[in-house]
Amino acid sequence: MRTGEIRIRDAGVSYRLYREKVTTLKEAVVNRFRHLRTSESFWALRHVTLTIAPGEAIALVGHNGSGKSTLLKTIAGVLTPSEGEVETLGRISPMIELGAGFDPELTGRDNVYLNGALLGFSRKQMEAKFDRIVAFSELGDFIDMPIKSYSSGMYARLGFALAQDVEPDILIIDEVLAVGDERFREKCRRRILDFRTAGVTFCYVSHSLESAAQLCPRAAVLHHGRVAFDGAVEDAWAAYREMERGPSPGPQIDLAP
Amino acid sequence: MKADAELQLASAPTVALRKPGPIEDLIKFRQLILMLVVRELKVRYKRSVLGLLWTMLNPLLLMVVYTIVFTTIMPSGQHNFSVFLLSALLPWIFFSTALMQGLNSVLANQELIRKVRVPQAVFPLSVVGSNLVNFTLSLVPLVALMLGVGQPFSAALLFLPISVLLLTVFTSGITLLFATATVFFRDVKHLTEVLLQMLMYLSPVLYDVTQLGGKSSWWFNMFRDFLAVNPMTYLIPLVRDPVYYARFPSLLVVAVAAAWSIGALVVGFAVFVRLSPRHIHHL
Repeated sequence: MRTGEIRIRDAGVSYRLYREKVTTLKEAVVNRFRHLRTSESFWALRHVTLTIAPGEAIALVGHNGSGKSTLLKTIAGVLTPSEGEVETLGRISPMIELGAGFDPELTGRDNVYLNGALLGFSRKQMEAKFDRIVAFSELGDFIDMPIKSYSSGMYARLGFALAQDVEPDILIIDEVLAVGDERFREKCRRRILDFRTAGVTFCYVSHSLESAAQLCPRAAVLHHGRVAFDGAVEDAWAAYREMERGPSPGPQIDLAP
Repeated sequence: MKADAELQLASAPTVALRKPGPIEDLIKFRQLILMLVVRELKVRYKRSVLGLLWTMLNPLLLMVVYTIVFTTIMPSGQHNFSVFLLSALLPWIFFSTALMQGLNSVLANQELIRKVRVPQAVFPLSVVGSNLVNFTLSLVPLVALMLGVGQPFSAALLFLPISVLLLTVFTSGITLLFATATVFFRDVKHLTEVLLQMLMYLSPVLYDVTQLGGKSSWWFNMFRDFLAVNPMTYLIPLVRDPVYYARFPSLLVVAVAAAWSIGALVVGFAVFVRLSPRHIHHL
């Protein structure tokens, strides 16, 4: 396995669902204990096999609830697959939700260090990056203000500035390019293109054909938790549209044994 | 590949193929634990005028209250009762506060756990860490009190670092265990609150084991049997013996306290690491 590689073999992620519909006191008491044993499971992802080579860029496409986010979280290591295997090698920068670890009470400065530690960087390593991060975020003196006083644009800018400076081998982006104003968005897009030329593996979730085609030559279409198509990005959109035309079966729930 | 020089990966990635074990993982994230401790202290005392001084003021005020109660309202025969009480109350407060805050810590950080891959044990452990800072600082007013009432200082006080270490190890283990249990059963939090209240009276905090005397009703015998297995019976003398009795804790006390502490940490950490991949489905 090489650095920057992602290998997914027959992976599945199931969520447990508990129905909460109680009408009588007796039911309430009985249900209390019943839900400990039986629950329904919902496979958000099943039989997914994908191999992404180092430096490759892949767009993940699919309807809402198709399992895109679940797949990204599995690659990022936040979720452990219920079956199958997900292997990655190298540092992952998950731009799944920018500023996920921010504490609103702390200043921007403290949050930069805290987030760096969350990604496994030491204080010293973060000190070397600090000025660059602040410059990229264009926050200026606001860096020493508590985050709760930031506008949502400032919040997202600091989040992106951090995520772009962690020397990733694998970059995971979940539609975060909708942050900030037009100019900042352009800056982010350029930065991602830089990563592409530097040979960083790249997983991108998008609903826009245009931005996906610009960044990724390959695309996988997810349909109800399965990979329905894997190939060139141009063909992927045709396959996606075709699939969406059919009747939607809705999420499949099967009773757990 | 025409890679931009600035974008060349600064640190050549030399990641081992093997997945890091849970202990290696924690060592890698040790700085995060420190930062979370600092964050907790910063946020807790934010906008309060006295800030970190409160950790010392708190036991001081508590001391005043107890001293008044036990000297004028219901006098106790105990010599220097305030030192007697505080030397047990401070470790007890450390344990119980860390446990109550720590068992909630995985739930409190669920937003983060859903989005970033991080060894989840850092959350309960950092709560223990911030309470350890509080506990250590609260020993300052205790020393002031000892000076004030003329309590003798002895070489046994040199044992205190080991006492604090054992208390911290024990508290970490129990907190890890209860933090993971709370994720699966929210009831644990409410149950623990009541149990801690009971355990305080069933532990030698307000009294000493030697003062119990020879009553022999069946329930009193049961109480004494419970005291014999209660870890607090061994952990509290670790502080009270050097501070109040000016003597080293007995070998038996130290041995049992160490066994409880290491056992609690091993079991707590193992269970936590085993169950933490399932946490995300129950948050």
